Amino acid sequence: MSDFEKLGIVIRYEFLKHLRRRRLYIILGIALLVEVLALVLIPVLRDGYPDSVMMMAGMLTVGPSLAAIGAIFFAGDAIAGEYEGKTGFLLFTNPVKRIILWTGKYIAGFLAVAAMIIFTYIIISIALLVIYGEVPLATLGSFGLCVLYASATLSITFFFSAVSKGSMGATVMTLLFVWVVSGIVESILAFTGNPYWFLISAGGDSIALPYGSMEQFMAGFGMGGGHLGDIMGNFEPLSIGMAALGMCIYLVVGFVASIWISNRRQLA
Amino acid sequence: MGDSIIIENLTKYYNDFMALDDLSLRVPEGENIGLLGPNGAGKSTTLKILCALLRPNTGKVYLDGIDVLEEPEKALSRIGAIIETPEFYSYLTPEDTLNYFGKLRGMKGETLKKRIQEVIELVKLEKWNKVKIEKFSRGMKQRLALAQSLLHDPSILILDEPGLGLDPRGLVEFREIISAAGKKKTVFFASHQLNEVALICDKVAIINNGKLLAYESIADMKKNYQSLEQAYLQLTGGNIE
Repeated sequence: MSDFEKLGIVIRYEFLKHLRRRRLYIILGIALLVEVLALVLIPVLRDGYPDSVMMMAGMLTVGPSLAAIGAIFFAGDAIAGEYEGKTGFLLFTNPVKRIILWTGKYIAGFLAVAAMIIFTYIIISIALLVIYGEVPLATLGSFGLCVLYASATLSITFFFSAVSKGSMGATVMTLLFVWVVSGIVESILAFTGNPYWFLISAGGDSIALPYGSMEQFMAGFGMGGGHLGDIMGNFEPLSIGMAALGMCIYLVVGFVASIWISNRRQLA
Repeated sequence: MGDSIIIENLTKYYNDFMALDDLSLRVPEGENIGLLGPNGAGKSTTLKILCALLRPNTGKVYLDGIDVLEEPEKALSRIGAIIETPEFYSYLTPEDTLNYFGKLRGMKGETLKKRIQEVIELVKLEKWNKVKIEKFSRGMKQRLALAQSLLHDPSILILDEPGLGLDPRGLVEFREIISAAGKKKTVFFASHQLNEVALICDKVAIINNGKLLAYESIADMKKNYQSLEQAYLQLTGGNIE
């Protein structure tokens, strides 16, 4: 039996795990709720939808961004859970290379997150079609960046899952890293005029960039003058290419490091 | 007939604690060997190294002549194992679980389906076959663990306290299943329960502090020490009165 066939089996049963767990539906529910809130609150708070379909599409990317963050909840226990929950005592005594097991878990997690992202973009597309009668081509670019962001986040979670004793620790550490640490450092670097494309939170920000720059979004909301304008004067704009490069680095380095560490980990 | 299991000069440290101290042991093909020793003696560590879950600091282990450290997948294809108190994926049913592990071992189609039915009946889980494992008791999980260890009809069974969590009836049933399997397979069986070992095994190895203290037939143990219990107590430093 080839390693490729074994990989297929691992992916199938790991994907089944995601389908049978409540967390997939909870994250999907939250992402949809956010989209609905955006669709309801935007016209109420600013006298109707924006004139520009690009601006509205950019605002709706908050749902898929949340779905991508779901990767953390899918992958937190991928490696650590086998040790913490003692399921490894059964799984690891099967004649399968560990690298096949970890890769299968990664791909299954990716498929689950990708399915959620696709679903949220379908909702966005329907909403834009109904409101504006069109779906901008830039939606494809935003979708690609969102999938890349989810893959990078999944790799970071795998890394923390490989080094953590427990699944909860891995999940919390990843959330802190992606949302808190990276977000704070990004703000500091961005508003002091320094590059920040290498931070994972910048990857999350890039999902809306195909629809327009941050300055354009702020201008669309009537912001950007006065004190905020002074702050924005130092703002270092993020390019899609550099943000994608940063996410690719997280994707590859996180995944390779997690496999390297996991293969050396023993089940005592 | 050769040796199914060969353990050569095995040493294992957990930080500064020496769990195995130059342990060597050979289990001939087709024999049922009990591995006895007090808590912390090194029984589970030995079995985990045999199952490629742990790497020794020094030494070698072979399953059917295959070096476990060099070719772990090939070596693992020869064994069925229950290590410690295994946990299952709670979102799967026994049928899903056995399908998963059976497929990973190259089984498929009707052969796998039929074999799953056989082992499920063997461990008396027919009524629970399609119920998620999250609802299972410790004893039921232990039954499922035995089913997965026998699923692919391995030539070697490695069992670490397989009777843990079972009620008296379950213990008797387990003993019968393992004894029946042991007529055709090599069984390496770690336990604290001397009477269980005496009923299943032909020979016992007694270890303590990671060292092999005795390795002989149960009949010889009884002859030399009056009983298996006395042998165990004397060799492991307990009360011999």
